[in-house]
Amino acid sequence: MTKQTRYFMAGSAAVLVAGLCTGLVAYYGGGFQAVSASTGPTELAYVPADASVVAYADVRSIMDSELRQRLKMVLPGERGQEEFRRETGIDIEKDVDYIVASFAPGEEGTHPNPLVVVRGAFSPDALEALAREHGGVSEEYRGKKIVKSPNGDTHALAFLETGLVAIGATASVRKAIDAQLTATSITSNDEMMNLVGDIAASNNAWAVGRFDLISKQAKLPEQIARQIPPVKWFAAAGHINGGLSAMVRAEANDDQAAENLRDVVRGFLALGRLQSQGDPRIAAIANSMQLEGSGKTVQLNFSVPAEVIELVLPRKQPVDAEPLHEGLHH
Amino acid sequence: MATTASPVVTTPTRAPGVLASALRIFDVSLGDMLWSRRTIFMALVVGAPVIMALMLRTVVSLGAPLFEQTRMTGPSIFGLMIFGLYLRFIVPVLGIFYGTSLIADEVEDKTITYLFTRPIRRGAVLLGKYLAYLACTISVVLPSLVIVYLLVVPMRGSLGASFVDLLKDLVIIAIGLAVYGSLFAFVGAKFNRPLLVGLIFIFGWEQAALAIPGYMKRFSVMYYLQALVPHAMPNDGIVGLLQAVFRESPSLLTSLFWLGLIWAVCLYLAVSVVERREYVLEQ
Repeated sequence: MTKQTRYFMAGSAAVLVAGLCTGLVAYYGGGFQAVSASTGPTELAYVPADASVVAYADVRSIMDSELRQRLKMVLPGERGQEEFRRETGIDIEKDVDYIVASFAPGEEGTHPNPLVVVRGAFSPDALEALAREHGGVSEEYRGKKIVKSPNGDTHALAFLETGLVAIGATASVRKAIDAQLTATSITSNDEMMNLVGDIAASNNAWAVGRFDLISKQAKLPEQIARQIPPVKWFAAAGHINGGLSAMVRAEANDDQAAENLRDVVRGFLALGRLQSQGDPRIAAIANSMQLEGSGKTVQLNFSVPAEVIELVLPRKQPVDAEPLHEGLHH
Repeated sequence: MATTASPVVTTPTRAPGVLASALRIFDVSLGDMLWSRRTIFMALVVGAPVIMALMLRTVVSLGAPLFEQTRMTGPSIFGLMIFGLYLRFIVPVLGIFYGTSLIADEVEDKTITYLFTRPIRRGAVLLGKYLAYLACTISVVLPSLVIVYLLVVPMRGSLGASFVDLLKDLVIIAIGLAVYGSLFAFVGAKFNRPLLVGLIFIFGWEQAALAIPGYMKRFSVMYYLQALVPHAMPNDGIVGLLQAVFRESPSLLTSLFWLGLIWAVCLYLAVSVVERREYVLEQ
């Protein structure tokens, strides 16, 4: 074998081994996900593949939004948030970046298993100490620390990575760790990821789910269940800033079901427009509603512009104390 | 005391065994095969999917909404490329071009006489060349497949989630090269116009047999090979539609059994033909 041939074979083997090692690292580490054409946050790698609903909220951008600032001025003081900060040391407004939540179907006759994965700036030691104070029990699960609730091992808090915690049913938390380690997360569900890919880039809050599974789990009475349209997937997304723009999309089982659903929505829209004629604020919202979609897809878009928000939640004018004071004296 | 000179006894050197001979032929043939004009053709055939993957990746990175319109993902495109390009085209075509030339090239270049006058079994010549073919094609095709995987799968997909599929694909492609190589090694040893016979088999017989309902498809290599593919088979095109209508995939074990049998029988027949056939060189 000539030197040239030997070099070629060695180069070929090197490419092969490098590619396989990359794949192997990704397989065991759950990394190298969606390099381009972003399909949602990387934390989706912790959402188990059988989740029926996945939701995301960019808490930081929502908290910083103009709409939120207006609501803050109008609504009474948020004691719950303050209490949470005192207890845990976590300021939701500043320390939480975003959350990914999911629901996976529980076993027959049990409730669905919720899971919330939170990305932010936390002190793991402080959180663990707090959980222990309340009787939490620590354990290691596949290299991750879990603090379980004392009663019946029902809920758990897991420290997944630096600045990433998972809270939920103990079974869900364990499944999340398994999903990431074995690369069997929701990211391998092409249908779900297609929907996520469509809405994740332009919205700071969204939810995607299997409508049929949810309605099955809800165990609705027969009369009500019969009235629910045959919808397979749903997606809801919103972008919150000065105003609010949102969309709700449903993927029906067939074209006929989608057409029926479109007719129902059209009827409601017409009724809404009729009812809103007297109030310009509601009329503006009703007129922004647009029904779209073809084939199996039914999509309703609507927006609440900043001007309408201004009408509903007017900014408090700074009180000019001086003239009033003078006036009182006069 | 008179001494008589003992006669020098020269024992004939023992001829090397079949395996040692085959490995020696492999060593010589690999370089010849790798740096032949045929390699330019192989580079073009195998480079095409890599260039396609690179272009796709570049276009998506520049922000073209390809995936939004088609609702496809990187892993599904990778699956389509494996099935449509590698399995249905590259593997059989490389099998034909290299497999049929193992003996035919030596006949055409009139160098077969030099090989057959060596103190090695004729069958070892074919075995050595077959091993060189396998090493040559595998060392070019499999890295190309890995590069396509690294470029395409991360687009709306995960490298980790598709890793097991990649391993299966690599094994399937290697099996395909081995089976088609042995089949066309036999064709090259047996027939006078092996390339033509090979092309008719791949693009005529196999396509027709897979499309026609009934048991005819069982007499094709592709029927067993495509049953191993972990990805969905595309249904586009008339032939694909017909295949979808009459699809009947054998089980994994059945496929592996028949592929193994085809490989062993064809290689045995190729060796037998080379051992027995008198190659008449044209003047």
